[in-house]
Amino acid sequence: MSESTSTNTPKPSSSVKLVLLGEAAVGKSSLVLRFVNNDFQENKEPTIGAAFLTQKCSLPTRTIKFEIWDTAGQERFASLAPMYYRNAQAALVVYDVTKPSSLTKAKHWVAELQRQASPGIVIALVGNKLDLTNDADEASGEPRTDSEQQPPAATTDEDDTAGEPQEEQDATPGDARKVSTREASSYADEEGLLFFETSAKTGVNVVEVFTAIANAIPESSLKSGRGAGAGTGQTTLGGGRPTEDSRVNLGDRTTATAKEGCAC
Amino acid sequence: MMQWSSFVQKAQSLIDPANFTLPTLTATDRNPSKASLFRQQFRLPDSQNPLQEITAELILPIPHTSSSTSSGDQPRNLDRAGNRYAGRLHLSERFICFTTQPTSFAPSATHSASTHWAGQTNGTGPFGNGFTLPLCCIRRVERLNSLSHVFSLALTTWNGALGKQQGPGFVPQRFTIQLVGSRQACERFCDGLKKGLRECMKEIESLRVVVNDCYSEYLLSGAKSKAQDGDNAEVRQPPDAGLGMIFRYPGDARKLRDRSKMRLWGEYLRENGRNATLIRQPTFHKLIRVGLPNRLRGEIWELSSGSLYLRLRSPNLYTETLSKFSGRESLAIDEIEKDLNRSLPEYAGFQSEEGIGRLRRVLTAYSWTNAEIGYCQAMNIVVAALLIYMSETQAFFLLSVLCDRLLPGYYSTTMYGTLLDQKVFESLVEKTMPVLWDHLTKSDVQLSVVSLPWFLSLYINSMPLVFAFRVLDVFFLEGPKVLFQVGLAILRINGEELLDIQDDGSFISVLKSYFSRLDESAHPRSENPKLRAITRFQELMVVAFKEFSGITHQSITEQREKHKDAVLENIESFAKRTSIRNLGPDSKKLSMDDLGVIYDRFYEVLYEHQQRQRLLDEEKKRQQRKRAERTSILGPPVDREVGRVGLGPSPSHMDYDAFRDFLAATAKWAVGDTPGSSRKEPNVEQNAGSFRGFGKSLAWNNKSEPADHEFMQRLFQKWSTELSEGLSLQNVVNGLARLKGPRDIMNNINYFFDLYDDNGNGTVDREGILRMSEALLFLSRRGFDGAITPSEPPEEVGEHDRFEQDKLSTDERFLGSVSSFIRRCFEYADPSKPEGKPMPEQNDTDTEETTEKLDAFAIGDDDEEDLIDIGDEAKPAPSNLKKQDTVTQHNRDASEAANPALDPNNPLHITLPTFRMVILADELLEQFFDTFFPQSFHLSDQSHPTAKLTSLSSNLTTFSNINTPKPHATAAAGATVAGASGGIVPPGKGLRGVLDNIVSDGIRMAAEVKKRMDEAQRELERNALSRPQDDDEDDDDEDYDPRSGTSAPATIVGGISSWGAGAYGADPERRSVRDTDRDLLEGAEVVSIHKKEDSSLLDDKEEHQHSAVEGSSSQQQGQSSSHHHNDGNVVSKVEFEL
Repeated sequence: MSESTSTNTPKPSSSVKLVLLGEAAVGKSSLVLRFVNNDFQENKEPTIGAAFLTQKCSLPTRTIKFEIWDTAGQERFASLAPMYYRNAQAALVVYDVTKPSSLTKAKHWVAELQRQASPGIVIALVGNKLDLTNDADEASGEPRTDSEQQPPAATTDEDDTAGEPQEEQDATPGDARKVSTREASSYADEEGLLFFETSAKTGVNVVEVFTAIANAIPESSLKSGRGAGAGTGQTTLGGGRPTEDSRVNLGDRTTATAKEGCAC
Repeated sequence: MMQWSSFVQKAQSLIDPANFTLPTLTATDRNPSKASLFRQQFRLPDSQNPLQEITAELILPIPHTSSSTSSGDQPRNLDRAGNRYAGRLHLSERFICFTTQPTSFAPSATHSASTHWAGQTNGTGPFGNGFTLPLCCIRRVERLNSLSHVFSLALTTWNGALGKQQGPGFVPQRFTIQLVGSRQACERFCDGLKKGLRECMKEIESLRVVVNDCYSEYLLSGAKSKAQDGDNAEVRQPPDAGLGMIFRYPGDARKLRDRSKMRLWGEYLRENGRNATLIRQPTFHKLIRVGLPNRLRGEIWELSSGSLYLRLRSPNLYTETLSKFSGRESLAIDEIEKDLNRSLPEYAGFQSEEGIGRLRRVLTAYSWTNAEIGYCQAMNIVVAALLIYMSETQAFFLLSVLCDRLLPGYYSTTMYGTLLDQKVFESLVEKTMPVLWDHLTKSDVQLSVVSLPWFLSLYINSMPLVFAFRVLDVFFLEGPKVLFQVGLAILRINGEELLDIQDDGSFISVLKSYFSRLDESAHPRSENPKLRAITRFQELMVVAFKEFSGITHQSITEQREKHKDAVLENIESFAKRTSIRNLGPDSKKLSMDDLGVIYDRFYEVLYEHQQRQRLLDEEKKRQQRKRAERTSILGPPVDREVGRVGLGPSPSHMDYDAFRDFLAATAKWAVGDTPGSSRKEPNVEQNAGSFRGFGKSLAWNNKSEPADHEFMQRLFQKWSTELSEGLSLQNVVNGLARLKGPRDIMNNINYFFDLYDDNGNGTVDREGILRMSEALLFLSRRGFDGAITPSEPPEEVGEHDRFEQDKLSTDERFLGSVSSFIRRCFEYADPSKPEGKPMPEQNDTDTEETTEKLDAFAIGDDDEEDLIDIGDEAKPAPSNLKKQDTVTQHNRDASEAANPALDPNNPLHITLPTFRMVILADELLEQFFDTFFPQSFHLSDQSHPTAKLTSLSSNLTTFSNINTPKPHATAAAGATVAGASGGIVPPGKGLRGVLDNIVSDGIRMAAEVKKRMDEAQRELERNALSRPQDDDEDDDDEDYDPRSGTSAPATIVGGISSWGAGAYGADPERRSVRDTDRDLLEGAEVVSIHKKEDSSLLDDKEEHQHSAVEGSSSQQQGQSSSHHHNDGNVVSKVEFEL
């Protein structure tokens, strides 16, 4: 990451605890891997419990160090999740754009977080596996990263079942999309979430998600060092934050979707 | 599907009672804790129970390999005894076990004698010197004629003798046991042994199969054949010792000193027996601690974990399961597929189709045998690791032992075992390393986020593989405490560094770097070369097992017990939260409190039913005691705790019986009238015989029996989406949301109509109308006698008060309403003939006629006719108004003749608008649907009681004023009703008149009805169709019953319920249909019981066949399998040559 290495000026740095949630095999770990190592693995070992990674994200005014908790997606691991989203300041709720059930599960997670997590938590809804849709062409043209692998409209799965290519054939050729951008984004609007569609495989929009989250974290809840940021101080801030930032978020989101040229 | 249910039934919950001693479990006479301690100690299958035990001394011969003398002088060998061990000899159904551990599992033994452990395994594995021999391994038992007071047995085993040929130098394994005890005790033990030997003889074939898969067998015979240089033309293929044979074993074999380990093991096995016939001496434990050699690793894991004994019990289960379910799909399989490509991908074997195929098959087969667990991520990693060292079959059984015993609840759908052990681990850290613990707490580092994967995947993806396998070596022998010891040791060794960490990130990276350097020297700068040679891993093992030797199975059990409730509560509240939130849009109509109540009640009922089922099963087992063994060798122990939500997948669907209980807890009308009498379970009783009765008396001692009415069946069918599955929580919530949602009388009326619209074509026929009226009476039969339940809904108070004023009971009034309901339904019904005369006219004339009739006769009489028509078999009340009798009789025929609606040859139906109109035309019925019906479902009790009260009282104040427009609680509802009725009510002079007449004639009419029912009752009794009358509730009624102190309402109630039953009888076809439905519903459990029985019978049969075959073959063999009683030196000689 160019951002993370270019620390020429000592900007104030703070850590943010971020948790990834979502159905199994939607590509949570792959998103993190892309963000942290700018890498992609076809056969990523399933996450047992949770994996922990960190990555810095440099904003104009400050540096955010993400402490990323990447959780296991299988349904039965859900009861472990509270352990990981405890004190999280941000959450990435991931679904698979080719799998409608994963959006339902994502909605459940959003509801859970809104009710149970820290009050001020910033939630981003992320539709992953954009490379399996027709949008991938346009999206991959984006001059975002110099990632080594950008197959045009790649049709291979990331780590999913063999069933999907068949579904692909059923749909318009090359487009396995089953969840429309409109559906997901209007839901995100309703709930006041950040919204992105990404591809961990091609790298589309991955960094943008994390940057948007970093921007959405209210400055006041950031303290250098994690212990302070995570305590009660944060909870008290929950009330004031959303109005201001959701405006910013909405801006982010619309630009993001506009860039992809989605038909919404 | 059937098989599923039997599996599910077998696997009713996940806890090993030894780990969680629960008061509920001690209710049985089987003393489960001792039996399971016994099984744990020797790693025996769950079918085994401690039958006999006796103090004994094991005398091993001097190893024959060390004495070059040949086979001729066995006795001499025996005399020149080698090692002697004093200990205890135990006998179970299929095993004889010896251990130097002086523990006792006899029923008379004290608790401490059964649980006092010392030594490495602390009772969780085959500790101590001795053996665990399947009885089928014993070839011959001789009683030695030695010194008079010593009772010695010489055991000869099949060790090494099951191969095709034995070399000339073959020496059978033979050792002596001296029993120490009274002569009587010794004889008793021998009798038990003889019996066991006889029964286990037939298993020798299984033994042969199982043993052939053991690498040791090949190793020892292979060495021999090499010496003789190919006497056998065919070179025996080595048995499958895992993927490692194809893709190499992980690690550098030379560095692991695999070859010398192999030599040591070869020697040990030759001297002490192999696989099933192995005798444990101190070297055994030492050899395991230094790490197993690659090719024997799988076999020793199998042996020390006890999975070998499961395999021995049903060697073909794995392949059978695979073929049985081949081609089937399941959620677990989908989940497995997702992970196949990502299980130990760094190992070459799992980049190939071969390895992935094996992994797929083992995981799939297990998911079928244990549907409750199915598949959990992390199992893929564990199984992948196992498959490197063992065959698919071996891995399959070992996985089963892991899930059921070694890692109880780890992989369950709630993973409560994992969470629990994390709590236990945290508390152990706090206790043993308080400084570190304080630091972690202060830095807000949650230990379990790091340690959870250690436990869940047995360190396999935390440490480099070679070291993880070393941990596994010990883990399989000594049990789960090893995971804790190693975990604690990791923290202890890194304690200094960990005290410097500030957050999760640094915590994790410290440990990561530690794991990556496990092969380095622990003391790189030491002067002492010996110290320098000690690797970090060796250090870890030493710290784990020396420094934390205090961590025993016992202490872990205690800790688990301590934290269990909190963990389960956490999970359950999480589950409740999640599932309530996910109930979908319909659920929003209900308050959070209501949903909470539904959730709790739903699972409470399921839980109770499960408990009941378990009692039934136990009773069944007791009755089949002769067949002591469980049918399935896999699956969790029988005596486990049952179905808390937190424990894993408790059943998620209610059958009809459970639904009745649910309703009974929700609505008063669903409570049965007499305990037992209304419970219709002919099918069940037929099938399950006395168990059923047993269960009933056991389970229902303190709960009111739910009623069983056709209405409830209809509700059940209406609510369910998949009738064969029963009702899910979602179904119940949706169903209740429809009724309890925003108050809407039209909705309720429509709903009720729908319930009876059997064909879904918007019509209800004659039969349906009658059933509707039955249902109305059924529903109201308790609703109006508020005295029965202490918590009176306000409306009843109101009505009650009013009736005292009016000298008219609600019941009577309501009865009148129902009666007129029937009449009107028939009045306004449309004839069902498709191409009949022009309908409206017909209808008009009908109405006209009827109205005329109504004018002509007393209205009450007409009503009675209707009631009588349906109520022919009704069972009812003592008559109290005789004077009306004659009148009625007189009018009966006339009215019957006059009313074409009563003519059964004249099919007719009503439509929803008609139904609506009829309901709305009656004050009471309207109220019934507006308030009573929805409110009769009680959820969270605090739900707007005041609103109820006011709306009702406003209704009631105007009740008597029958001619004014009906009041409504809300303007909106009122408007709807007005609009609806305005549009539908036909030229209604007749209707109003009818209404007035009925009301004015209320008392008389009700009395008439009662009398009619009474008559019918008498007739019924004459026909011997009725059930004993029940007067339970009489007292309650007398308080306000205006009529002369008889128990009218209660008897009506009774009458109605049997009336319903009678109605079934009247229509055999209908009835039979319903019975089959009920079969489906109620039968779910019955079927599974039977399934189980069947399969066990099959098992038995197989066994018998097997034994028969064995028997005949052995008879052919002549001397084999004979059973001598020699007064001389052979007490019992069981032998057969093959």
